[in-house]
Amino acid sequence: MTTIATTTAPPRAKKLVGAGRRQWIGLLYVAPAVALVMVFFVIPLGMTAWMSLHNWPLMGDHFYIGFDNYVAILRDTRFWNALKFTGYYTVIVTIAIFAVAFPLAIFIEKPRPLANLYRTFFFMPAVVGFASASLLWSWLLNVDSGLFSPAAYELGLIDKKFNLLATFQPAFWSIIAMVVWKVAGFTMIILMTGLQSIPQDLQEAAVIDGAGPFARFRAITLPLMRRTLALALILSVAGSILAFDQFYIILRGGPRNQTLTAVYWIFNQSFVSFKLGYGAALSMVLLVILVALSLVQLWLLRKPEGLD
Amino acid sequence: MRNLIAKLAPKLALTAAVLGSGLGAAAADTANIWVRADGSNFMPKIVDAYNKVHKDQIKLDIIPNAEIIPKYGAAAAGGTAPDALSLDLIYTPSFAASGQLEDITDWAKSLPYFASLSPAHVKTGTYKDHIYGLPFSADASVLIWNKKLFKQAGLDPEKGPTNWAEIAADAEKVNALGGNIKGFYFSGNCGGCNIFTFTPLIWASGGDILSADGSKATLDSPQLRGAIDLYRSMVKKDLVPAGAQTDTGANFFAAFAAGNIGISPSGAFAIGALNTQYPNVDYGVTFLPGKDGGWSSFAGGDNFVVTKGTKKLAVVKEFLDFAYSLEGQTILAKYGSLPVRGDIAKDALKDLDPRYQIAAEAMAKGKTPYSVVFNDLINSANGPWTQMINEVFFGDDVDGAIANAQETMQSIIDQAPQK
Repeated sequence: MTTIATTTAPPRAKKLVGAGRRQWIGLLYVAPAVALVMVFFVIPLGMTAWMSLHNWPLMGDHFYIGFDNYVAILRDTRFWNALKFTGYYTVIVTIAIFAVAFPLAIFIEKPRPLANLYRTFFFMPAVVGFASASLLWSWLLNVDSGLFSPAAYELGLIDKKFNLLATFQPAFWSIIAMVVWKVAGFTMIILMTGLQSIPQDLQEAAVIDGAGPFARFRAITLPLMRRTLALALILSVAGSILAFDQFYIILRGGPRNQTLTAVYWIFNQSFVSFKLGYGAALSMVLLVILVALSLVQLWLLRKPEGLD
Repeated sequence: MRNLIAKLAPKLALTAAVLGSGLGAAAADTANIWVRADGSNFMPKIVDAYNKVHKDQIKLDIIPNAEIIPKYGAAAAGGTAPDALSLDLIYTPSFAASGQLEDITDWAKSLPYFASLSPAHVKTGTYKDHIYGLPFSADASVLIWNKKLFKQAGLDPEKGPTNWAEIAADAEKVNALGGNIKGFYFSGNCGGCNIFTFTPLIWASGGDILSADGSKATLDSPQLRGAIDLYRSMVKKDLVPAGAQTDTGANFFAAFAAGNIGISPSGAFAIGALNTQYPNVDYGVTFLPGKDGGWSSFAGGDNFVVTKGTKKLAVVKEFLDFAYSLEGQTILAKYGSLPVRGDIAKDALKDLDPRYQIAAEAMAKGKTPYSVVFNDLINSANGPWTQMINEVFFGDDVDGAIANAQETMQSIIDQAPQK
């Protein structure tokens, strides 16, 4: 395009015409967006990378230490444990979200009475912020003043109040329940748009060919929803790997640090231990892991040859 | 002409006086100080009292407890730090080590009452033999008991427990009242609460969790093990509410204030809070005892530190001098802080609840662990101390938890930038 502009415009005339002019106008249009990306993403990312090469305390002077922070990460068993837990949580919560969101999407996608009302109900928790939702649930889960344990006790279902957040398994599954409650509605809407974009005549043709519901789901719905699934999956995985609020607000990483996530550990090192340089290095490592995972997912869910 | 001058002279003098006072007012300085939210009761009162009678003024900002350290760090890095800061005393060593604070050794030592200032505060305010922080507000840990429940349980309501066996026995008797009433309360997942109220039990029995200079973790002491067994036995006998296990400190005081708890370790702050907000709770205050008697206390509260290079040093000194006066100490005491000047503590407290005297006595002999990594070791919700107390009070593997915490603490101390 640039070539056309320079060859067609007379060299004397400084005025930009045709494609060249359009290109400048186009650049002007995107300039605010580019500026935002620069200011809020590229520059902070560069600064984080720069900080990660320094010993950078909260107060006092910082100095360059090369890759020492990265070497320290290799020995940081708490970070690797946190990463392991984050991975475990990501797998479980992603499966749980899809297990709830997919049936819901199929349920609300079909025309039925009150469909809009159902959609609204299922989607509503998604508009609550994670921090607010976590605060709400930390109250619901409170053993003395909350809802679940006192209600079960009053109803005579348990003879002693049970503190859901005191041991790992109940605490972990309480968080899973809260996240599924909060996120499934959003995933449901994404999956619903995917379902709605599948041409109806394909389904009808399959019915005429005698395909049952399961065969149609496997041969038509799933393949045609690859892109939507990839989007929902990447959003869910990325969100789960960056999980922080619910573990910080409801569990504080407890019981006994068994639910420390990777981001929580970065927060801890940066803003509790005030090792900002080390926190930056941890962030860079997590970023690389996240990018790699997303690329793998995109590759796995790429459109197979010959479809369409 | 002479006549004219004679006539004008008074007017000229008046004008000069007006101009002079105007210039004087313009020359008045305003120093900016920050305080954590824990000081939101007494700090505005003392700042107001100071501002009313001084030309130089103090501008006060109250910052949420959890945010004050990162916020100060960011402000210091950006050159917008306040002139001075009332800071949780345990942070003073690490702040001093960072080189951001003004060395106030000469001034501090020139104060006529320097020797009477809270020793625990001065110790944490001292780094490498230089003074960077001076005592401002104070809080000592004590044991409080509910007199009404003691009476109902057939115990002497005027006599609090004086050793560990009595704590356990009294808690059990109160617990036997049944219903919502429980014998004992502590925040089982709060490192800060338990360094404040649990370690005095160990200190009073002759043990410690850190060496005096903070260079060694000493969690393997038999006194610690004994104190753990006391708490474990009460948990096992169901004398402690189920919520204690996950309480990160939110209920530290509220549980007792609700009136259903027999005994709870707490702080002097509870006296003011109970008197003003829960006047129906009839309670006693005593020392945190050792295994076979004796007592100890954690000396908490704030140190006053000055940002290096501030141009308002004179105002800050003037304000601190006011806070140390009998008037200042009385205002602080009235609104929730114990006096930090031992020589006038009795006078400052004389019109207040007599139970403050016990807290003031506890304060005078109070102890504060010294460490530049106190936050990492103790206060952090994910630090080794918090993790250990939760496991040893409620979990199964006491020895493993202690050994693990000992090792983690020592490695954090060893990796600290400066010792």
